[in-house]
Amino acid sequence: MSELTQKERLVRVLHKEAVDRPPVICTGGMMNAAIVEIMRKTGHTLPEAHLDADRMADLALDIHDHTGFENIGVPFCMTVEAELLGSPVDLGTLECEPKIAREIYPSLSQVDFKNVEQLAHSGRMNVVVDAAHRIAKARPDVPVIASLTGPVSTAASIVDPLTFYKELRKNPAAAHRVLEYVTNLLAAYAERVLESGASVIAIGDPSATGELLGPKLFEEYAVRYLNALADRVHAKGFPIIIHICGDVKRVKPQLASLHADALSTDAMISLPGLKAEYPHLTTMGNLSTFALQWSSPEKIATMARNLVADGIDIISPACGLSTSTHLESIRAMTDTVKATSPVTSA
Amino acid sequence: MTVSAQQLHEQLATAVVELDEDLTKQLAQQAIDLGFDAWEAVEFGLVAGMDRAGKLFDEEEYFIPELLLASDAMYAGLAILRPHIPQQNTDAEKVRVVIGVIEGDTHDIGKNLVRIMLDVGGFEVIDLGRDVPPRTFVDRAKETGARIIAIASLMTTTMDGMAEVVRILEAEKIRDRFKVIVGGAPISQGFAKKIGADGYASRAPAAVQLAKRLVSEPQAA
Repeated sequence: MSELTQKERLVRVLHKEAVDRPPVICTGGMMNAAIVEIMRKTGHTLPEAHLDADRMADLALDIHDHTGFENIGVPFCMTVEAELLGSPVDLGTLECEPKIAREIYPSLSQVDFKNVEQLAHSGRMNVVVDAAHRIAKARPDVPVIASLTGPVSTAASIVDPLTFYKELRKNPAAAHRVLEYVTNLLAAYAERVLESGASVIAIGDPSATGELLGPKLFEEYAVRYLNALADRVHAKGFPIIIHICGDVKRVKPQLASLHADALSTDAMISLPGLKAEYPHLTTMGNLSTFALQWSSPEKIATMARNLVADGIDIISPACGLSTSTHLESIRAMTDTVKATSPVTSA
Repeated sequence: MTVSAQQLHEQLATAVVELDEDLTKQLAQQAIDLGFDAWEAVEFGLVAGMDRAGKLFDEEEYFIPELLLASDAMYAGLAILRPHIPQQNTDAEKVRVVIGVIEGDTHDIGKNLVRIMLDVGGFEVIDLGRDVPPRTFVDRAKETGARIIAIASLMTTTMDGMAEVVRILEAEKIRDRFKVIVGGAPISQGFAKKIGADGYASRAPAAVQLAKRLVSEPQAA
């Protein structure tokens, strides 16, 4: 096999085609590698890069060039969607990522439905779309991943979360209306960013875990709307990565039914175990971000080597990286994966 | 049909664990109308029901929505029964806990669950909310005479704020006046130990057991 570009390698894996070795990536969004060390070095800093397409593109390129991750990921937060839907956002600082300052609606039944096509053409969605366009032009051989917040997490960012979780049980009609609404917005946003140059969509949905919802509600709300979103991305002809946080042991059958081209999980999950149970899954993960922050580069390299040896299809951090993670630690991960000898393709 | 106090307690507990807020309110009112002891109805009815819900949560039969709905039922019953509880019962000295989500983080579901379970477990809980600076935990703990500082973090990016709380306590030489407990998805026993916290709980009901154990330890002078 001739040398694959970073983009070819990732896209091939997502299409279940043979490759020389697993790609090592970091999607952006919830899992972004905008660490303080890189920003101090280059001067392309947060929080400014959340607001301006050129700055966002510069920082995303810096991260790619310094870390060795084989993708470029935008944006660097999970607040773009909820902000457009009305929740005030605190953009944070260099060290601290943006957060929802206040969920705008007290309950699901009070959500005000706006025109999603219009919304998808406004606010920081424009910033992300423009940044993706600039990056894709600058680096045609590198996959640009646009990271979106999942439907349940987006809904839980616009409705008071305590009320939200109760209403999933008490008021399913209102819950489905809101989830359909946010899913439509996310799909419109995904379609725009794919048209502008992104080649993969990644979804993180941390408020929709099996641990929080239990299997029944996970299926009713998380799986249903993640799949609706995935189907829209597929209809455009692009692949989608879905990351599920937390312990998944209670929702494994539901995970297996996700329409994801790769499934990413948290560090406590045995991906080889998951794959043994559900051989059709393309697995992604799951190097502990705790280890990335605190362990030695040698230890991190060993962990990365083990993931490759275990046959994990895409190597990636297991969760959001701390902004104080050292570049040397990330390099230990990416260099190790890239140095692994080609796997004999089946 | 006559109902004994014991039967009514059982019905109350069942209404809470079955997440039936309206029935809980009806039964609480019935307890008052029948002249039953309101304190006992709280303890053997509402709190017992919430304990069962907590147990089901621990066994992963119940999840977040169910535990929140059970607590709504419990608090609705409590609002009816509380005015009928003699003062000396409610004035008993409770151990105070300050609780909050660390600065930079606005995910507070877990913190709210722990607050509810601590409340049910007999603690007086002072809720500092979310996105709370480390300094505020220390100041509010001092002001309120709390014995426990409970800190939650749901993001790997904000965990260091927990260590900062411990550092402030040490710098002010008041570390031994407080027990610091930590929790949240990215937190582990190892992390708690590393930052010098007194304890870690992986789940809300376990946090109550942890708090009880820590305050029963002999207090430093």
